[in-house]
Amino acid sequence: MRQTTSRHLLKNPLWLIAPAALMVGIFFLYPLCFSLYSAITLDDGSVTLSHLNKAFALYSNDIFFTIIIVLISVAILAVLSITIAALITLSPFRSLTKTLAFLYRLPLFIPFIVTAQMMRTFLAKNGLMNNAFVASGLLTPMDTVSFLGWSGIIITFVWKQLAFSTLLISGAMAALDDSQIRAARNLGASRLRILFQIILPQIIPTLGVAMVLSIVTMMSVLSVPLMIGTGSPTMMTADMAFRINSYGDYHVANALGLVSYCICAGLAWFYLRQNLKEKGAN
Amino acid sequence: MAHLHIKNLQAGYGKKMILDNINLTVEQGEMIALLGPSGCGKTTLLNALCGFVPVSNGEIFAGNRAVSQLPAEKRNITMVFQSYALWPHMTVAQNIGYGLKVQKAKQAEIESRVSELLSIVKLEGLENEKVTALSGGQRQRVALARALAIRPDVLVLDEPLSNLDAKVRLSVRHEIKALQKQLGFTSLIVTHDQEEALVMADRIAVLNQGKIEQIGTPEEIYHHPSMPFVADFMGAENHIEWPTNDDAFSLNLSNHATPLDIYFRSENAVLSTQQPASKDDFHTGLVINGHVEQSVFFGNNYQISVRCGKHTIQADHDQNLPENTPVTLRVPTDALHAFTKNVEHAEHQKNHAVTV
Repeated sequence: MRQTTSRHLLKNPLWLIAPAALMVGIFFLYPLCFSLYSAITLDDGSVTLSHLNKAFALYSNDIFFTIIIVLISVAILAVLSITIAALITLSPFRSLTKTLAFLYRLPLFIPFIVTAQMMRTFLAKNGLMNNAFVASGLLTPMDTVSFLGWSGIIITFVWKQLAFSTLLISGAMAALDDSQIRAARNLGASRLRILFQIILPQIIPTLGVAMVLSIVTMMSVLSVPLMIGTGSPTMMTADMAFRINSYGDYHVANALGLVSYCICAGLAWFYLRQNLKEKGAN
Repeated sequence: MAHLHIKNLQAGYGKKMILDNINLTVEQGEMIALLGPSGCGKTTLLNALCGFVPVSNGEIFAGNRAVSQLPAEKRNITMVFQSYALWPHMTVAQNIGYGLKVQKAKQAEIESRVSELLSIVKLEGLENEKVTALSGGQRQRVALARALAIRPDVLVLDEPLSNLDAKVRLSVRHEIKALQKQLGFTSLIVTHDQEEALVMADRIAVLNQGKIEQIGTPEEIYHHPSMPFVADFMGAENHIEWPTNDDAFSLNLSNHATPLDIYFRSENAVLSTQQPASKDDFHTGLVINGHVEQSVFFGNNYQISVRCGKHTIQADHDQNLPENTPVTLRVPTDALHAFTKNVEHAEHQKNHAVTV
């Protein structure tokens, strides 16, 4: 009995992936296609570009703002996570690196909405950070500046994503054979030189993955621009929520979704092309 | 190249001391093999020399420079690693020339040094290959060229042959030795393979539990081990505790009245199926009567396990023997390594000086 079942399964190997395929189809592909369809059709089903036109006319500033915020965040993210991972890998002070290796992981376990709330109380004009400066006599209450707005969004994104991208990058650095670093050291290379000439060239693919995944995450967060942004300009996710909550306008919200999908897809395409080029060169 | 002098060196990981008061001098142009079982501290010693493990006590001199407190990048001691440790994103020439590039040498100088080294390690024409395209033997030669490129004071090799397959290992072993003679570099090589140490080294230092047990030429170490551990490690695998209180054994050594640890190699045990020898066989140091327990084919001969009371003795023989054949083993006096028992620094009996 058992033999016949397994033979049957072998004849139809597609059965094995059916449950997973069904889940992806129902819960991901169908909503995605429906959303894309809704972005480019009127209620009667005829194809139109009017939703996209409207989205660009009303929100092109916000689209631009979103791209700039995400790019600045990802640039800072790359620098910081490489620095932290390099300190963990190359620093001779073992106890310091152990503490650092523990601390950088903490934001992994804090959701975006909690992070946003935390940053709100921390970065506001009368928030924790400014209060601390005033209490220590570094600033007077008149001099304090609110970081809520674009800089707050960037700080929150970087703070939250730092754990994830450092985890990936320090993992890739740790996977390098330690003797490669030792070989460079006893040929006279300083730690900084080893980072740029030996380690970084070998972990570029991982860096790419960490950055692309972080961009996609940042593009999809709603709570941070809503809670830390100051209204105008704001990020696309906030606009989508606004279209739906205030007007019930799913068409324009989906059109904005299509734009954000295209931005992510463009980045993914760029990343994959670079990756394939490198593999081809090897 | 300069000589290397290690004085009272102590080093370890954290609070755990691995190396215990190491004293060693490698003369200019000499190759010393560090030989010992796993975990005896031989790789730790190399790491301490290179600056990868902090030195807690003692001093290391490369030439006249005291280097034990310098960081690894300032010591001018380079290492050839067991795993090659080549950088896969660089070509062969970039790997070899890296040390010179770090020293800010001129491009033309780097190129000429790289091509000189490529011809020394017989890899001409491969300068633009990716190192991932090379075989194991070629990779290890690139690693050797890379380590030699900056003209280090001392070259250390950490089991450089153990990742290579048997045939390639023999040829690379020969090449490293030939290069060492040709270029005259001062070097330390770590190995756990006694044959490798005998063939490659000018002198051998046998390490055990963080201490140098004996240092000497390959012949000295092989023929005159100074203590039971060295004798055992150098292949004298037969061990008898004398007296055995067994009639099957008879010993013709001057001091056979004192308790002894006796070691000898299987190839020195002459096996015969003749009638048992009398105890008055004056030409032989040790005579053993026993029965064949097992016979294993080794290609050029058979290794016979002979059961003699509670001991099992290994002996080489040119013929296969059936089980339970009564045999006699005779070991010449000068092949016996006898150590007085229970003495801290057992005195090795000069076998040829023993009166019979």
